[in-house]
Amino acid sequence: MATHNATLSRQARRSPSAWHLVVAVLVALVVLGIYAYAHELSEGMAVTGLRNIGPMGGATWGLYITFVVYFVGLSFAGISTAALIRLARIDRLRPISRMAELLTVVALVLAGLAIIADLGQPLRGIVNLLRYARPQSPFFGTFTLVISGYLFASLVYLYLDGRRDAWLTEQTAERHRGFYRFWAAGYRDTPAERERHDRATFWLAIAIVPLLITAHSTLGFVFGLQVGRPGWFSALQAPSFVILAGVSGLGMLAMIVAAVRRRQHREEELGVEIFKWLSTALVILVLSYLYLVVVELLTNLYTGSSRERDVMSELLFGDYAWIYWGAIGCFVGALVLLIFRVALPNLRGAVWPVVVAGALVNLGAIGKRYLIVVPSQTKGTLLPYDEGSYTPAWTEFALVIGLISLGVLSYMLFTRYFPIVEHPQPEPAEREEAQ
Amino acid sequence: MRRAIVVTMVVVGFVLQATAFLFLAAPLGIPTEVRYSDPRLPFAPVIFILGVVLVFSAALVYELVPDRGASDG
Repeated sequence: MATHNATLSRQARRSPSAWHLVVAVLVALVVLGIYAYAHELSEGMAVTGLRNIGPMGGATWGLYITFVVYFVGLSFAGISTAALIRLARIDRLRPISRMAELLTVVALVLAGLAIIADLGQPLRGIVNLLRYARPQSPFFGTFTLVISGYLFASLVYLYLDGRRDAWLTEQTAERHRGFYRFWAAGYRDTPAERERHDRATFWLAIAIVPLLITAHSTLGFVFGLQVGRPGWFSALQAPSFVILAGVSGLGMLAMIVAAVRRRQHREEELGVEIFKWLSTALVILVLSYLYLVVVELLTNLYTGSSRERDVMSELLFGDYAWIYWGAIGCFVGALVLLIFRVALPNLRGAVWPVVVAGALVNLGAIGKRYLIVVPSQTKGTLLPYDEGSYTPAWTEFALVIGLISLGVLSYMLFTRYFPIVEHPQPEPAEREEAQ
Repeated sequence: MRRAIVVTMVVVGFVLQATAFLFLAAPLGIPTEVRYSDPRLPFAPVIFILGVVLVFSAALVYELVPDRGASDG
């Protein structure tokens, strides 16, 4: 405990200029995002590249919704991993549990902000959603259940899971003791409290799993149930969303674990075993996703309607081909890298291939999310309109960059002031001694 | 006492969700009329969400509220 808290206080005391420089850059990017949003709010959605489908030849959903889907996807793997660690009692992965929980919370907040950015009149949108939403609608499952219930559940999980470390940190912290005391909320790490905590988080994990499957499937249904929209209408949308969510989230988690490992010198706690697990899970999920991509491709090209084939041709050979093949290249590249990591003796046990693979699958996931959202609107109309086009405006890019920066900044600040790696539970012998 | 509060919160939470979903939100069925589009009670979705929040809040109560008579106080 002493070592653990000493690390944290050392970190809080030190003021490395590189850290401050990164924070300053991130704050500047967040301000840029706020400026872009203020511009959008005062001038209207006309300052974005979004236009009505059909007569205006545009897309009403663009970069913002692409990133809503992407952020919600990131959150999936975070809480799934945390729940899996708890339910399956995978003790060797416990050090990454809090990183996964925090990833979920941050990603869901960003998803909520991205939805607000997409609304021309956000207040009206939020009030009407709460007033008229149909719980039977996929939109409700996604935009309401995800952002309220799922976020709340994840916050509860993160809070309760952090009480013990808050209490431990309070013992030796030189600053912010009030904050740690508030978080610990009277926790004293007695055997009864530990038992109660284990029971509570176990049931929380059980309750969160169906909620997150529902939330992510309904996100797929938002697109997959639209019968009049070639490119979207597919039974594979929901499972594809869930699997791609797992791919991008685990990839992001691998990058975060590597960054924390390097930054906080935690080579021992965040050992190669963790990367091996992440790498194996990533390989299985990427392979599953590529299988779904091939199945969808064959079905649409072989038996799809002419409109369905048109959209598919645009993806494969048209305006969007560079994104499509770029994304597939990222997934295949990540797969090859992870297989090489196992096959080549000099790469065995290396961390960097998992990190690079994580970055690649995230790039691929963003590309695929964009392709799910946009081409069906610009090229997939059943009505006799001309083909449309969509090019994101600078406001959209600035806002999305601001959101990503906000996410990174929040994560960095949290890890600076709170133990991001859970302190190991005492062994039974230690517990008896303490009693 | 603490356990009783927790169980009550979970039960009430699920009841709220079921009530909002089945009886207060827009009717289930093939939407052939306007009434299938609007909730029977305005803000019925809020009640559904409150139900979800209540269920998960039970975990907070379970951990934070001291149990009188227990060894850890």
